[in-house]
Amino acid sequence: MPGFDFSNHNRNLALHAKGVPLPKATSTGTTIVGALYDGGVVIAADTRATSGPIVADKNCEKLHYIAPQIWCAGAGTAADTEFTTALMSSNLELHSLSTGRKPRVVTVMTMLKQHLFRYQGHIGAYLVVAGCDPTGAHLFTVHAHGSTDKLPYVTMGSGSLAAMSVFETQWKPNLTRDEAVKLCANAIEAGIFNDLGSGSNVDVCVITKDNTQLMRNYLTPNTREKKMRDYKFQRGTTAVLNEKIITKEDITKYVTVQDMGDGEPGVGEKMEVDA
Amino acid sequence: MAAMMQSAMPTSEPGYSFSQAPQSVAGGPRQHGFYPYTDNGGTTLGITGSDFAVLAGDTRSTSGYNINSRYAPKLFKIGGTGSANEGARIVLSVVGFAADGNALKERLDTVVKMYKFQHNKEMSVHACAQRLSHILYNKRFFPYYVHAILGGLDENGVGALYSYDPVGSYERETCRSAGAASSLITPFLDNQVNLKNQYDPTSGSGLEKVTKAPQPLSRQTVEELVTDSFTSAAERQIEVGDGLQMFIITKDGIEEKYMELKKD
Amino acid sequence: MDALVAQHSRSQHAAEGYSEDEMQQQMSADLAQPLSLQFALPPTASPSQWLRAMTDDHSNPQCPIKIAHGTTTLAFRHKGGIVVATDSRATAGDWIASQTVKKVIEINSCLLGTMAGGAADCQYWLAYLGMQCRLHELRHKRRISVAAASKILANLVYSYKGMGLSMGTMCAGVTPSEGPALYYIDSDGTRLAGNLFCVGSGQTFAYGVLDAEYHYDMEDAEALELGKRSILAATHRDAFSGGYINLYHVKEDGWVKHGFMDTNPIFWETKLKKGEFSNVTSKMDE
Repeated sequence: MPGFDFSNHNRNLALHAKGVPLPKATSTGTTIVGALYDGGVVIAADTRATSGPIVADKNCEKLHYIAPQIWCAGAGTAADTEFTTALMSSNLELHSLSTGRKPRVVTVMTMLKQHLFRYQGHIGAYLVVAGCDPTGAHLFTVHAHGSTDKLPYVTMGSGSLAAMSVFETQWKPNLTRDEAVKLCANAIEAGIFNDLGSGSNVDVCVITKDNTQLMRNYLTPNTREKKMRDYKFQRGTTAVLNEKIITKEDITKYVTVQDMGDGEPGVGEKMEVDA
Repeated sequence: MAAMMQSAMPTSEPGYSFSQAPQSVAGGPRQHGFYPYTDNGGTTLGITGSDFAVLAGDTRSTSGYNINSRYAPKLFKIGGTGSANEGARIVLSVVGFAADGNALKERLDTVVKMYKFQHNKEMSVHACAQRLSHILYNKRFFPYYVHAILGGLDENGVGALYSYDPVGSYERETCRSAGAASSLITPFLDNQVNLKNQYDPTSGSGLEKVTKAPQPLSRQTVEELVTDSFTSAAERQIEVGDGLQMFIITKDGIEEKYMELKKD
Repeated sequence: MDALVAQHSRSQHAAEGYSEDEMQQQMSADLAQPLSLQFALPPTASPSQWLRAMTDDHSNPQCPIKIAHGTTTLAFRHKGGIVVATDSRATAGDWIASQTVKKVIEINSCLLGTMAGGAADCQYWLAYLGMQCRLHELRHKRRISVAAASKILANLVYSYKGMGLSMGTMCAGVTPSEGPALYYIDSDGTRLAGNLFCVGSGQTFAYGVLDAEYHYDMEDAEALELGKRSILAATHRDAFSGGYINLYHVKEDGWVKHGFMDTNPIFWETKLKKGEFSNVTSKMDE
């Protein structure tokens, strides 16, 4: 069934009035920025996803696709930014198909603010929308309650102050493409190092009127160090109560088994290790 | 099911509104205005060996999502002479609320120094540990917001480590981690230091299988374990990072080591 | 006489402020607080309510200060003395703070105390009790009775009633006047003499085994085994109990320690060799 369930709303309000603290909204720590330059627009984001004080994902993607020439950087509740941008992307594609024109950034911005305003801030999506369309390069911010801004350089998320400090000292009008990319990456780095909610790598996306370039992991200033000790266990270290061996012949009765070849006997595929 | 789903947006009426909310309800949990604590994050760790004790802590101080300082030590030398505590043989590590930690360290340091003046001998780690427990318990009804670990060498020159809860319950242990990443480091230490869940591979199977008995670790092994613990903690705990400070207490004194940790 | 003259011949302003002696006294009073039993209190109208908001994770799971709590303890009288057994787990909220806590506190060579509730409260006040017992010995030239010792503790905690102390403790000892004696004292002020007590969050599980098998005329070995088995049952079913089984036997000439044993191998031995704990699956086809 579509829509949100508000059945606990009054109860929670009553509990709060009695002094029970409401559950803390997971304001996903993030730094996202955007800047216009001569000939296009740049957006950038860090890649840390947290749940409370724990880093849940060290290399997540916060730059979301809306249309080939329109991208969106998301802060706030991870699920909300993910689903809201996906919804906008779908609707914009349909809109573009029915009008037969290339989608415009203002259209996305308007759709987003109308959608978010309807939900009165309950959808915790804080977005930087950027893109190029027939009317030029555009950059907007959209807040969860539905308000929007149109500015030449913007920052959002928990690292927004750190990032803005970089913009306010180094931004100048008529930047070149390289200058804009460097400035945005610097701003994100300020967030990465000075805001605990932001960290790991820098993702950058450059959009010009005829091309989009997504630079995933443009900077990797926080690579993982090698451990000093080796933590391999000798076979037989773990206690075993019982064991039962299922052979390949047994299992072929239920599923199709495909031999991967060149594997050591009894050893399957090598586990993929995050590099 | 339909009753569960209201299509209308929630309103403040006829439910409770924040402005109308009663300020306090008798018997129920009450919101208190007096909140004198801040969690300054960070983690500490101590491991002992047969003739040394290692205490370590990261040097980041945080409040909320902010970094107060990238070098705010959580490790303090206790006793010795002067404000630099020269010749000290006891180390206190405190994690939690830094102001309380500092107050606690000042108190213990004064006590240990006074002890030497009054008795003309160094305070033993055992005595110092008991005294620290009493200092903490003295604030049983207005606790220090800290997890303390005390390290040194006992009367036989064996590494000694004492760990404390905020109100002074204490215990001598071979290894202990406290603070923000203790839940990440402790299971690792259980496995690598106390050899929990590790059995001798050469022993039989089932009930005959023999658990590996913990052996005293070498100083190098301990230092490597400490380093690995902290580099791992810095990867996954946002409040841990910037620097790792290590104090190694041996019969020759306290050796300090410092290395950089991730700064994001 | 010279001192008296000096005292009265000083100028007026020299008497202001603190004298060196007074400062020394203040300093040592400052440092000697643990024995003077003056506790720091928070500057609020209701210190105990504030303390509860900060430290009681039962009424407020998000409380900032998690105090370590102890868990399953038991003691019972039988013809050969008193068996005292405990687990060794300390929890702070849902976190296992330690698996190696010594919950049997050796007050002196003939008196044992057990720890349940706040670990610091039990440790501190049982050490204090030990001190009082020793003072009693020195003053009266004979050992304190278990009844008197337990009453010192009961009166003490009662004087702090409502302040937030949390302890459930047992005093077990043998004296010439009483024989083997067992008392239960808790922070509400309750003080009971009895043959059998289990205290802590795992008490019901321990009672379950203990009540079923207990009789006064048990031999020593049988009694010790029952104590161990009762704690094992509690560690099995109570998440807040576990670690090691700490076993003591109080006899006429003092207490004897019977080990600090890992529960895991004992559990598997009990299951696989004696066929108990059939609720636990150890075979794949069961």
